[in-house]
Amino acid sequence: MAEEEDDPTFDEDFDDSGNGVEAGHGKRKRLFSKELRCMMYGFGDDQNPYTESVDILEDLVIEFITEMTHKAMSIGRQGRVQVEDIVFLIRKDPRKFARVKDLLTMNEELKRARKAFDEANYGS
Amino acid sequence: MADPARMKTNLGSAAGPKAEESEENEVGDKGPGGSETSAESTSQQIIKDDAKMEHPKETNAGEDEDEGASGLNPPASKKLKVDPEKKKEKRHKVDEDEIQKMQVLVSSFSEEQLNRYEMYRRSAFPKAAIKRLIQSITGTSVSQNVVIAMSGISKVFAGEIVEEALDVCEKWGDTPPLQPKHMREAVRRLKSRDQIPNTKYKRTFFH
Repeated sequence: MAEEEDDPTFDEDFDDSGNGVEAGHGKRKRLFSKELRCMMYGFGDDQNPYTESVDILEDLVIEFITEMTHKAMSIGRQGRVQVEDIVFLIRKDPRKFARVKDLLTMNEELKRARKAFDEANYGS
Repeated sequence: MADPARMKTNLGSAAGPKAEESEENEVGDKGPGGSETSAESTSQQIIKDDAKMEHPKETNAGEDEDEGASGLNPPASKKLKVDPEKKKEKRHKVDEDEIQKMQVLVSSFSEEQLNRYEMYRRSAFPKAAIKRLIQSITGTSVSQNVVIAMSGISKVFAGEIVEEALDVCEKWGDTPPLQPKHMREAVRRLKSRDQIPNTKYKRTFFH
């Protein structure tokens, strides 16, 4: 079927029968296991999610980041990833777009607050 | 594990950027469990307000051009001065309402819900690992803002998948914890809605 061809990562999950070593994507060490477990619990899963599910989710997230990075490199200033490119790519998805705008706004506010705080300390 | 006192003070302090941080964390995200509907409707409201914030800026730019063309100088410029102020106040008021509603909601959480909510807010991808990953793909260094944006989007992405997988799980009559088959079905559904970026395989029209 077309779907199985599109998802080679999932075929590897089929092949792996629990010996702990997967081919392809699995060769890399797991980067986000701990954080993803907490995240899945926060989003509604059980307090102890299955390791296989966490692995699938990590592969998906890494693929997502890779795709976004490649796309961002191809638009705007070639070969570089800039925030404007990410915002442009995400413009159609309301959730992600709002989230990015909030994060960047808050980051600016926090930087300003920290700067004002440091200046106040320096003055007194 | 959960520290409700600390969490409540975070939301209680209406002044300062932290409160806005905790509020705007909710924007566009569904609340956990049964408290979904109210959080969802308010988050949709916030998204609509965000969309509205874009529009006034565009209409003002349009009015600038009209000013020169039609010569309606005094009324147009007055409108320009008042509109951003009104929209800003309205948005500020909506934020205040939002903060109050969230406080009421969180204060009525059970122990288990509080635990889950704390995990939902606090979990995040490690910035160092994300930065290393992006830099290994680009080959050049990236700014801190890029790392912040990318980790934020990735968390939303993970959330979308988990939510869809929970829908699938419920529809199939299973219970959490989520199994790989739920995750795969969730990905298949999101792909058909084009919510998963894919530049590897191009879709042809009629197979």
